[in-house]
Amino acid sequence: MKRRALWAAVLVAAMTLSGCGSAGSGSSSDSADDKLVVWDWKTGEESAASYIKQAKADFAEKHPDVKVEFVAQPFDQYYTLLGTAIQSGKGPDVMLFNGGGEIRDRTDALLPLDDYVAKDRKRLAGWEAFTAQGRVYAAPVTLQGHPVYYNKSLYKDAGLDPEEPATTWREFLDDCKAIAEKTKASCLSLGNKEGIGIQFFLSGLGPGVLTPQEYDDWIAGKRDWNSPHVRQIFELWKEAEDVGLNNDGANSTALFNDAFARFQSGEAAHIVGLMSDVGHWKDFSEFLDPDDIGVMRAPLVNSEADPALPYDGGIGYGVAEWTKKPKLAADLVRSLTSKDALKAFYADAGAVASDTTLDVSGGGQALTTIVSEIKTGKPALHVALSSKTLDLMGRLSQQILSGSTSVDDALRKLADSDQKG
Amino acid sequence: MPLRGSPSSVRPADSGRTDKTQAGQRTRRTDPGVPAPRGISGQRAERLAPYILLAPAIAIVVAFRLVPLLMGVNFSFTGDGERDGTAVGLDNYAELFRDPLFRTALENVGLLVLLLPVAVAIPGLLATFIYLRVPGHRIHRSVYFFPAVLSPVLVGAIFNLLLAFDGPLNAALGNTGIDPVDWLGDPDIAMFTVVGVHVWATFGMALVVFLAGFSTLDATLLDAARVDGASLPQVIWHVIVPGLSRTLQFVFVTTMIGMLTSMFGLLYVMTSGGPEGATYLPEYYIWVQQGEMNRPALASAASTVLFLLMLVVGLAQIALLRRAGREH
Repeated sequence: MKRRALWAAVLVAAMTLSGCGSAGSGSSSDSADDKLVVWDWKTGEESAASYIKQAKADFAEKHPDVKVEFVAQPFDQYYTLLGTAIQSGKGPDVMLFNGGGEIRDRTDALLPLDDYVAKDRKRLAGWEAFTAQGRVYAAPVTLQGHPVYYNKSLYKDAGLDPEEPATTWREFLDDCKAIAEKTKASCLSLGNKEGIGIQFFLSGLGPGVLTPQEYDDWIAGKRDWNSPHVRQIFELWKEAEDVGLNNDGANSTALFNDAFARFQSGEAAHIVGLMSDVGHWKDFSEFLDPDDIGVMRAPLVNSEADPALPYDGGIGYGVAEWTKKPKLAADLVRSLTSKDALKAFYADAGAVASDTTLDVSGGGQALTTIVSEIKTGKPALHVALSSKTLDLMGRLSQQILSGSTSVDDALRKLADSDQKG
Repeated sequence: MPLRGSPSSVRPADSGRTDKTQAGQRTRRTDPGVPAPRGISGQRAERLAPYILLAPAIAIVVAFRLVPLLMGVNFSFTGDGERDGTAVGLDNYAELFRDPLFRTALENVGLLVLLLPVAVAIPGLLATFIYLRVPGHRIHRSVYFFPAVLSPVLVGAIFNLLLAFDGPLNAALGNTGIDPVDWLGDPDIAMFTVVGVHVWATFGMALVVFLAGFSTLDATLLDAARVDGASLPQVIWHVIVPGLSRTLQFVFVTTMIGMLTSMFGLLYVMTSGGPEGATYLPEYYIWVQQGEMNRPALASAASTVLFLLMLVVGLAQIALLRRAGREH
């Protein structure tokens, strides 16, 4: 009896130990040479299925004996999981990133791709968002930007010409007045619960304030937070609230998806939206007539400004620094940005793909306007900021709206945070 | 593993001081039943068995609790980003306490402690009414428990709709002539809103505990108090509260733990730590630093501070419970 108990105990102990072992050794970087592991948050979505299929086919043609495994991670935990993988130096060979701060904060874990993607540089747009210290760390799949959308049918209701949206801030305020008088809609749909509203405001309307030189300096990292024009952007943010352009309760309205829903349901005349994924031309056209969705340039606040479409690389695939097959992984990245794959992505997922040679005439007037402005577009202002500064800007913007801090005070704190970063 | 135990010490039932000789006799008496060749190895197996049986549990606790805990504390003394892996001493802690956001998070913990009596009083009072058989007490019992089965995300989403600036609650207030309140957008109100929703969502569990406590209450005491002409508040204060002191303490401890450790889902869905960072709690701060800001070492430092905080709160509560236990 006792002996049996002993053996049982040994067995349990052995099982426990072997259990630990197998749980710890499941890391993908130990996989065989003929397998690549990709992490992203897209493959789980039905709308991306044809994109992945095309990309896989393209890769299989070049490397028929290499297996590719896509692991779809939940987006809200993606960077947490990735952080853990980076910390342990083990993980996927190829991974999806948002452009801007998300990838720049993690370049230590990534392989520079300059030599591998040289041939794609001309065909694809949006590289800047995946570039840090002059080196490219991922290839863009979609473009993400912040066009100002407006609702043409509300313009008609307010007696405005829907084909002639305001070009200056003065005119814009007049239009808003007309909209407030004749319709029940608010002029702007603002959702700043997560502090993202200010990011869209800065990037969407900032181009109408800064001069081209100031704009380029900002993107290049020479940001003067005390300059009169930067201050003016934040004063406009306050003015928009004070004169009642925004919907009520902006600080408790979520941008995703409450603010977008407001615009979609005709409760607001304008919104600084997105180009890809959500809150864009395709989403809005589910409820609004596609012909009623217009895209306008940022209204001119200063005559010296020359507003251009603010956009960057949206999402892109990068290669892990720890991969044992850098060449193969880079080839997979190239397949994931091949023309046919991106075409499928644009058509099914409703994204402005990074490939500028695609034909988008079937996407409606708003999309055509957006795509026509990609050539002259510039990187968005907020994308140049670090995640820490963006987080702080979110909180300060809420304080400006509620009146618990002044524009001066906010700018001082932002300058401080930006310089530290 | 040290093997210092004698055979008698591995059999807890026999190791009492008073019956040691009896135990020895019993062992001797059973010994002849064991075949001679198995004697030595059997004895050894018997000596090893408890350690082997304990080993998996200890291994799991050490491997998955203690080691990660120590690694985390150790990690909090290293840097992030460019200083990854290098020792930075107490820099992370200094940064934490300079960060107004983390100070807000700690202040909010203090606020939760202050709100604790309210969070305990609500289920306590409602349970009292059910116990005193107010009309409809059967329906109330199940209705009160219902929110406890909903996930925080669901509860958060429901209240997001109800408490929106243009939502039904403000519309109802508007009908009575009261100005709309930005429940989740006003930094002075939002924390109370979230705590209120958390209490609404979780008080059902405490209510059940209270009802269980009531079943141990001596009904004759209540009758006696009534006969003596005690009012309802007097009955509650002088009869029910003293009779339920152990239950009350248990509910205090579990409610405190619940408030400090399971508000994340609600905060994430309802306020995202905002507005203006007013609803940050340490665990939300940790998540943001690790997941959003890519500052795992700073997040470890914040985790260590939260751990110490919970340790202090936990020890204080254990001390309180002990003292209360001695009084009885």
